[in-house]
This record gives sequence, C-alpha cells and structure tokens, in this order.
Amino acid sequence: MVMASAEQIGEMTQRSAETRSTRPAIDWRGRLLDRAPFLVACLMLALIVGIYGSLQSGVFTLDELNLDTAAAMTLMLAATGQTIVLLRGGIDLSIGGMISLGTVIAATRFTDDPSTTALWALVILALGFGIGALNGLLISLLKLQPFLVTLATWSILNGIAMIILPTDGGSIPTWWVGFASAQLFGLTSPVWMLFALVLFWWWFRATRVGITIQASGSNEKSAFLSGVSITRVNLVTYGLSGLFAAGAALFLVTQTGAGSPTIGKDYILPSVAAAVIGGVSLFGGRGHLAGTLIGAFVLTLIGNLVFVLHLSSYWQPVASGVILLLSVLASSVAEKAARSRVQ
Amino acid sequence: MDLVTVTGLSKRYGGIVALSDAAFSARAGEVHALLGENGAGKSTFIQILSGAVQHDGGSILVDGQDYRPANPDAAQARGIAAVFQELSLIPDLSVEQNTWFRHEPRTWLGTVNRAEMRRKTLALLERYNFPALRPDQELRRLTLAERQIVEIAKGLAKDPRILILDEATSALPAREAEWLLKLTRQLAAEGRLVIFISHRMAEVRAIADRLTIFRNGATVAAHEANAVSDTEIVTQMIGRHLDRLYPERVASATDRVALSVTGLSSGSRLSGVDFILREGEVLGVGGLQGHGQRELFQALFGASRASGAVELWGKPASISNPRQALTGRDGIALVPEDRRGQGLLLTKSVRENLTLSVIRRFSENGLLSRQKEADLVREMVDFLRIKAGTPEQLAGTLSGGNQQKVIFGKMLLTQARVLLLYDPTRGVDVGTKGEIFQLMRDLAAKGYAILFHSSDMPELVHVADRVMVMRDGHVAATLEGDRISEAGILRAAMLEREAA
Repeated sequence: MVMASAEQIGEMTQRSAETRSTRPAIDWRGRLLDRAPFLVACLMLALIVGIYGSLQSGVFTLDELNLDTAAAMTLMLAATGQTIVLLRGGIDLSIGGMISLGTVIAATRFTDDPSTTALWALVILALGFGIGALNGLLISLLKLQPFLVTLATWSILNGIAMIILPTDGGSIPTWWVGFASAQLFGLTSPVWMLFALVLFWWWFRATRVGITIQASGSNEKSAFLSGVSITRVNLVTYGLSGLFAAGAALFLVTQTGAGSPTIGKDYILPSVAAAVIGGVSLFGGRGHLAGTLIGAFVLTLIGNLVFVLHLSSYWQPVASGVILLLSVLASSVAEKAARSRVQ
Repeated sequence: MDLVTVTGLSKRYGGIVALSDAAFSARAGEVHALLGENGAGKSTFIQILSGAVQHDGGSILVDGQDYRPANPDAAQARGIAAVFQELSLIPDLSVEQNTWFRHEPRTWLGTVNRAEMRRKTLALLERYNFPALRPDQELRRLTLAERQIVEIAKGLAKDPRILILDEATSALPAREAEWLLKLTRQLAAEGRLVIFISHRMAEVRAIADRLTIFRNGATVAAHEANAVSDTEIVTQMIGRHLDRLYPERVASATDRVALSVTGLSSGSRLSGVDFILREGEVLGVGGLQGHGQRELFQALFGASRASGAVELWGKPASISNPRQALTGRDGIALVPEDRRGQGLLLTKSVRENLTLSVIRRFSENGLLSRQKEADLVREMVDFLRIKAGTPEQLAGTLSGGNQQKVIFGKMLLTQARVLLLYDPTRGVDVGTKGEIFQLMRDLAAKGYAILFHSSDMPELVHVADRVMVMRDGHVAATLEGDRISEAGILRAAMLEREAA
C-alpha cells in the first residue's frame, strides 16, 4: 500500500483551505422559493381585495377593515392554534368540539355580573388548555396518530356540548357582546386582537418553546436526541391549540349572542385550510402565522366576493376549495424547485 | 484517576442482548478509540453514555460518582455530549439555531438573542478553525458533509468534558476529515476526553492514545494504541483471523461494452464526462470528494437532469427518472449514498424493502403472488447472508451492514446488470465490508458491470479493475493495472491541478 507523504497531504490541505476561504453568496433564489407559498397567498389576497374593491365602493376604508377582521377573527383564533399544531407536525380536529363546548358554557353560565362572567371565561380558557393538553398526553403516551385522538375528543366534546345545551340558544350578556364593536383610535377590538396575534407570534416563535415545537415537527427524532421531551412538547402544543379554540369560542359568542352545540365543526377544516393557503406545511417544521392570517382573510373575503357578484352562497365553498388547491399546487411546485437545487 | 469507569454494563432490547458485559475506562486529556464490528454494541454503549437510552445492569462512574442519565439533557448536565452518526439536527433550523438548540442565549423577553447567538457561533467556529459555514443557512440546504460539521459544532457548543464522536469522519471529504483529526487532538490537549469511533484504522492510528475493543456486546480488550498491531486489533474485533479483507481480483471483463457515456454534463459540478464500463468489470470512481462523483452517479441513475449521450448494452438510453433507469435486465440499479434516507424504508420489513421496486414481478393477472415473492425473498436473504430473524423484521432494527445487504438485495432483484455503487461500505463493519467486496467480484464474474465509488481510497485500489479519477467535474485520469495506487489516485486528483 503506497501512501502520499504527509508533507504532500499537508501542502494539499493548506492549498485547498485557501481556495474555500470565500463564503458562499446569500442564496436569494432559494430564499424566494422558500417563501413562495406565502407570497402566493399575499398575491391571492391582493387579487381578491382588488376585485372586491372594483365591484364595491368603500372597500378601502377603516370601516371595511373593522368589519372584515371581525368576520375573520374566530377563524383566525382557531387557525392560530392549528398553525402551532401543524408546525409540530400534527393536526387538531378537536378544536371543533372545543369551540362548540365553549359557546354553550358561555351561553348557559355568563350572567350580567361581570365577575361571575369573567370567572367562567377563565374556566373556559383553562378547560381549553386542559383538554388540549390531554390530547397531547394521549398522543404521546398511547403513541397514536393525532388525527385519531383529536377526532375522538372532538366527538366527545361535541356530545358534552349537546348534553349541556341540546339546541342553539342560551344568552350572552350585552356588555360581553358589545366587546366586539368597542373602538380605540377608530379601530375595533378585533383589529387590535389581530395586532396582538401578530405580536404574540413574533414573540412566541423566538422563544425556546416556540423553537422546540417547530424543531419537533421538523424532525422528531433529532429533537429527542437533542434532549427535547416529546411528551412535554405535545402537551404544550395541543394545550395551546385548545386554548386558542376556547378563545375563538369566547369571541364567537360576541357575534352570535348565543351558544351552539354544533357551530364548532365549521371551523375545523377552514382552520387547516387557512394555514395551508398561507404556506404552513402539513408535514411540520415550516410556516408562519402571518401566512395563516392572510389565509383566513382570503377565505373570509371569498364570501364577500360571492355576495357582491350576486352568486348563490353555495359558490363560496367551491371557490374556497379551488383556492386551496391552487395554494397547494403553488407550494408543491416551489418545494420541487427548491429540492432540485439542493440535492 | 480515570474520568470514566464502566463495569459490567448490560442492555437488552426485548429478547435481543445489545450489551452483555461492557467495560471501559478513560482519562481526561486522551483520545480513546472505540472499535468493534457493527452490532458489537458500540452504538448502544454511546447511547447509554449520552443519555438516549438507559442501561439495565452494571455501573458507570464519572469523576468517581455514579452516572445514570435519564435523558440527553441529564448527560449534558454532567458534561457529556455526543456527535451522533445519525445526526441530531433539525432540517428547518439554521446552522446557528442548530448549534445552540435549547441552549440559545436569551433576552429578558425570553426570546432568542440573535446578535449574541451570532457572536457566539462565529467565536466557536473561529476557535476550532471550522471549515466555512454560513451561520444563517438552513440546514436542509447543506450537504451531508456540511451537516456532519454542524453536528460537531453543536457538540462543542456545550463545552463538554467528554465528547463522543461516532463515525464522524465517515461523511467528511478528505480535507475536512483531516481537520477533524487535528481538532480531536486539540480537544484532548485542552484536557477533554474524546471517545472516537471510526471504522478507518488509519485514523485511529493517527490520533488515538488508547483503544477499547468491543465484540458481541462485551469488551474483549483495551490497549495503549502504540502497543498493538493492526492485525491483533482486527483479530480481536472479529474473533477469528481475517485472512484477507479484499478478495482476489480475477479479471473478468469482456470486450462487450455495458455502459458507454459521452459528454455527460449536469449543472456546474459535472462537465463532459466520457468513459466506458465493460461487462464483468468493476470500474472505480475516485478523486477528492466533491469533484463530481455524486453528480455522476445521480445523473446516470436519472435522479438529476443531465445532458450527454448514454448507451446501455450498445443501445442509446435516455435516463430521465429513476423508474426508467431501473427497468429490466438492460437497466441500471443504484446503491445510494444515504441508505437511511434514500435506500431503505426503516419502518418496513426486510421483505417489503427487497420487493418494493419489483412488485410487478410477483403479480399475475393483477394479483400479487405471495408464494413467488416469499421464494425470491428467501433466496436473496440466503444469498446475501442477511442476518434477520425473519423476513418480516423491520429494516430499521438491522445493523448497518445488514441494512446495506438489504439494499444490495433490492438492487439485484431489479435484474439490472449495470450496478452503481456509491460508497457501499460507508459505516459498515470490517467483516461485512469483506463480504461486500467478495459479492462485488462474484457479480462481476457473472457478467455484471459495476461502477464503484468509495471515499476510502484503499478500497478502490484493491477492488476495482480500473480507477477513473475525477477532478472538477471531469475525468482527470483512468488508472489501470500497476498504476492503480493511492499515490497515483491522489496525484491525479490533486497534484496535477497545478498544471491546469
């Protein structure tokens, strides 16, 4: 066996060290491709707002912003929780049950006495986090698919909601209902909530908890080897999702003024759709709330568009479906382009 | 006093004994090599040390105190960090986020202090003279070698007293491997203990102070590195005398051309490659890593876009996707670089892995013939001597060498007679390496044409009939007969560059 002399090798490595001292340039195209799904969502929103604005007067006003944000806020809250779960690489169907349960508890327990009402509001939020955490615990301990576990808890929560309040009804105190139209500097509370969500996300994604959730969705085994407790991550992830679902319920009753044991199911798939339209990956690890919020606006404004076009309201789900397909297509094209470059 | 003392360590997984009686002792400030075939228990041993799994019996003392970490965090708290062969990195986080994952410097808001993290990253990379890395680059954009380097940075970021390097050089190109060896000595000089696992004897020789040899889950010997010969080490590792690692090279090439490639180019890494591969020939592909070898294999397999002319058995072939490349007796089959990521479905059985790409061969009138499948699978398991309990055992539970055999089986079942082997012995133990080389020569004798890349140069020298050396995306030289030597390959790969 002949070996090159140590001197030769030393000389070679030194030379190659010099040639690689320059750092690779920033990969702009790669970054653009990464953000392609989000950019497509922005484009869609701009397009929809454009069409809507050309057909209807007064679209570009604060009033319209207040109205549309209020219309989208329940979905936005539910989708915020869903985004966290998707980032973890899971899915939460139980938010449908939690939203229903939240509204019926509110409708049967809220009174004109603010302290009682505030107490029950806290109970609903705590219940949301607790039930969500239980989802996370079941997923970890039983090693079951999130889809199955949350499908089961959805059904259970739905049933409990029915038992508490079999049909739509109950009552919500007017001062609670009034919250949704409260204004500050010309902006209603939903718009301020929107800002709060953005602020929350900016903070949350930079915390260790946020990074750990994202990391666990990106590669669970690596996260475990890095010392992450997967059980704890699931607990927090699904707990937060339940918490936001409870928050969605508390906001929803300001608009309905009553409880409904079946209303929650209307938010399950749209919450996933809003996230996917906004570029959140169903496989975990990738996505931002900004995309989800834009996705929620897109889904909400489609309704307005259908209305001003004088179409039957049945066209709304058709349009939503088409938009969802287009976004999925856009992200998969971008994904492929990105992958073919990385190798 | 020894920093780590392990006695009588044992660990079972269900009915399988992974460790029965491991003993180990090492001092601060030394490089301690851990040697053994795959399946000897090295992986289990370091998983226990790093807190990924817990031992059943025996004791570990660190600094004279009992050590039994419940999880990787507890191990880190005692100053032990591992650089895993199966990397522990997060694809969607950046280099610096990965490096400091769960140990990020924080602001008063609880958020990550990015400026501080960047500063610490650059300081770390500087201190240990790391190869160039962009701290903000996302991990999934990096090559396997670059990821390995990030994994090392991550281990060092914890400033461990004991650093475990598990096959860390196997994914690295020559110059980065060289850097890692120097780094290992530097860490030992700083008073740390480095536990170093490698299948490359030359590396162990170059840096280890002492070495411990594992076999079948138990420690068989510990030596001062300079007091023991290679032959003794290998004998102790495999328990029997290994006559020859490399099989006899019987020329079996015919005049028939199996694969002819003209002007193959792809992207910036592959420019105008010409060569022919004959029936019954093993053609080695050498050179420094990153000079187009990977791209050549991918282009031939149809996994990346390429231009140029490719002829298979005299007929022009267009290979635009792997499915086309695979088809039938005139096709091409590939053993990929990353067997866990690309070749094997770890959560599927040995049987399913073997027959995945040839499922059509077992169907009659659209129905699967289980009998036919079972026969072929058994034949292949016997032929390759795959050590699996039953064909239904999950591929992920096999040792590295056996996983590689399953991939060979999968490839052979496609009936393709042009085989592309990309680093088929990476991370494979000595005994299985020998079997794989023998298999390659046997296949060549049967008329298979084999294109063979290895990152370990002696393998090319001893197994290939000819060696094609690549440089800057083209063929720099093709060595035959006596001209095949490590020096010859290196010269063609590096030295003659000055003239260019």
